[in-house]
Amino acid sequence: MQSTETKPNGPVAASFMAAGIGSLVLGIVVCLNELGGDISKFLAFDKNFGLGSGVGPLSGKVSIMVLAFVISWVVLHLVWRGKEVNFGRVFTVALILVAAGFILTFPPVFELFVPKKA
Amino acid sequence: MSLTEREFWTLVHGMVLGTLFLLAFGGGLAGLYSFREKYLTADGVAERSPRLVLGTAVMAVVAWLTVIVGTWIVYPWYRAVPAAGTTDLTKFPKSLLISNPDTAEWHTFGMEWKEHVAFLAPLLATAVAFATIYYGAQLVRRGEIRRAMLVFFTLAFAAAGIAGLFGALITKAAPII
Repeated sequence: MQSTETKPNGPVAASFMAAGIGSLVLGIVVCLNELGGDISKFLAFDKNFGLGSGVGPLSGKVSIMVLAFVISWVVLHLVWRGKEVNFGRVFTVALILVAAGFILTFPPVFELFVPKKA
Repeated sequence: MSLTEREFWTLVHGMVLGTLFLLAFGGGLAGLYSFREKYLTADGVAERSPRLVLGTAVMAVVAWLTVIVGTWIVYPWYRAVPAAGTTDLTKFPKSLLISNPDTAEWHTFGMEWKEHVAFLAPLLATAVAFATIYYGAQLVRRGEIRRAMLVFFTLAFAAAGIAGLFGALITKAAPII
């Protein structure tokens, strides 16, 4: 256990976990977009919600990622504020989520979700 | 000697912000690595702490600015769709790349990876910046957090590095003009 002379690690753990959640959500949304159809049309936040012009589905993918990052950070911050959590465990989980984000945003992986033509 | 609007923003995205990101990463990494009680006196910690906060915060802000400029200003020019019958595709980089089997992978692999993986950099850099701001000088006594920060910091650099490398190579194959 670290010295108690320092602030509790909960808020930092929350920010690390939120980064992991944001990464995973980005990876998932990138894969979902490959399914095409209504999902891909919905992700065009530039057309649907005026979030830029000509950006296409990328506008939705990254907006959802940012929302997931911010919301999870706020929620986890409130839950872990003032607490000393098992940082090693939190960081391991966050790292796994980031790795999943890296893998799911790799083209040969997310292209596996493209529907096969009949 | 002049720059078009597109060249200007491409330069801001790749060179200006990219260079700042690299500088902030180098300084931040060295600062984080050596930010340990056994290496520093109390005065040393007090002197280095604000610089570490500044370096990591700059890296996070620059990472966000880079992806925002890249996505909402430069990317629409890259993916613009030419009118039917257009034969000169030099102003439509994506279409130019995929029109030739020899260059199509710069888009289908390079750009498709770059445009997504780049966004992991600001997420990771923000978590690191928050930790330095939150702990300040106390970070010298939180070895496990400092080590985790080094991992996230390096992963942020790797994500930005992949994006930057493909950005440079794609721009060489099909510049935004």
